[in-house]
Amino acid sequence: MEVNYSSAVVRIEWKSPLVFELIIERNEMEFQPGDSISIFNADQSQSRPYSIASGTSETGLRLLIQKLPGGELSNWLSKLKAGDHVIHTRPYGWFRPGQNLAGDPFIFIATGTGIAPFLSYMRSCPERPPGCCLYGVKRVCDALELELVQSQCEVKLAVSRENDHQYHCGRVTGFLPALKLNSDLHFYLCGLDAMIDEVSEWLEKNGVDFSKIHREVFFYAPS
Amino acid sequence: MHHLETDSWLKTSDGHTRGYIQPQLLKELWFHTGTNCNLRCPFCLEGSKPGDNRINAIELEDAKPLIDEAVKFGVEKFSFTGGEPFVNPEFVSILDCALTYRPCMVLTNAAEPLMNRIGEILPLREKANPLSFRVSLDHPDEKKHDESRGKGNFIKALKTLGRLYRYGFNVSIARLSLENEDVNAVNHSYLPIFKSVGLPEDLHIIVFPEFHRPGSIPNVPQITEKCMTTCLNQNQRDSFMCNFSKMAVKKNGEIGIYACTLVDDDNNYNLGKTLDESMKVRVMLGHHRCYSCFAYGASCSEC
Repeated sequence: MEVNYSSAVVRIEWKSPLVFELIIERNEMEFQPGDSISIFNADQSQSRPYSIASGTSETGLRLLIQKLPGGELSNWLSKLKAGDHVIHTRPYGWFRPGQNLAGDPFIFIATGTGIAPFLSYMRSCPERPPGCCLYGVKRVCDALELELVQSQCEVKLAVSRENDHQYHCGRVTGFLPALKLNSDLHFYLCGLDAMIDEVSEWLEKNGVDFSKIHREVFFYAPS
Repeated sequence: MHHLETDSWLKTSDGHTRGYIQPQLLKELWFHTGTNCNLRCPFCLEGSKPGDNRINAIELEDAKPLIDEAVKFGVEKFSFTGGEPFVNPEFVSILDCALTYRPCMVLTNAAEPLMNRIGEILPLREKANPLSFRVSLDHPDEKKHDESRGKGNFIKALKTLGRLYRYGFNVSIARLSLENEDVNAVNHSYLPIFKSVGLPEDLHIIVFPEFHRPGSIPNVPQITEKCMTTCLNQNQRDSFMCNFSKMAVKKNGEIGIYACTLVDDDNNYNLGKTLDESMKVRVMLGHHRCYSCFAYGASCSEC
């Protein structure tokens, strides 16, 4: 039972110096905001998961991919051209930002390309935006699709490696003490483990039930 | 000629009849969830790492017929190993199905993939059968654990262990044996660690010997039929995993039933596509890891 698909590349667009958006044909595959697909390398011996950033009614699958130094998949993918094909799994996932909440309020917290599932949600469900989005990046130019996010909710941008007086200089965790916590509020966290562990720990220490903390950690195991 | 009839399968390199196990029952069925893993541990006996596809991610559609067949064979338990099971997209659905019929155990590194899915895992407490977790905590020394598994992973695993226990799941740990170690002393050194996250002092600890990387050919003694009959008694022979256990493995898109959890790198131990086929095959003890079972009584099972 093979479940892999072959889809044509529609285009590649660089969104920041290190992050590009790979758009592949959707081929009518169903997905929900928060889903990922895993893309295989040429001989299918390796794969990497990428969160889908598209809205559910779009015709292509958008993937935000950071080109990593020595990253086998990301370097190969960055060189693809329109019309090339990639082998990938069907969409899958368990992270469901903003969904199944029965009207409870929620906020998004992301770092880097961890914004992807939230973009998918905002493109799919613009009628029910999050209360706010806390977003951490290294430099202002690394902030992805800021205009789209700002069009839907308040965005608090933290920039850790650049001084820009418009934004908070530091890590996204610097916003936590100012958060107004209430027992109904759900938190959706996506990005690297250090941020997510720190935010989860802070929220739990400040009385947030763990069931209200929804995590999607991008794990990275360097060779 | 089928491999089961070849001399190299039936005899040792010096011509003696190999030791073997004639499977008698199916108490435990293991599922290999795939060699995709969030970690890249240099000692991994499966060679698992991020994105690895040597063993494919098993799906519910693959697992369900085997769960049904195993129940007919009177299986007592389902167990799952990887890779890291929780990176497999369909894993929680598979667990949900298996827990309808029998208790289940999951081997996990208890890091991000499990925590990402905790919202899906908690409802499994309501299933008809209990779910338990065996977490890898290789050494009582945090630094030694993290040398192989990556910085911060000892604390992550420990915190998750404590959390799972508080949520009401059964938990145990697996660790690596050290050369010439005093087993009780090493086990004892875990007690303060357990206490720090509210785990009971008598937490079950499973100690594994060195199994070597997949495909490696370490120089170990070969096991003859005579070894099996003169060095071991019937109870000891019965305790070999291949006597009461099997593992389902998906390679190149096809399911195969392997003799145990340790031999999936050798296709000779793929005993068939169904449990019925595989239960009829006499398992010759020719894999280097068979010697670990013979010499140390190693077993991945908690049956």
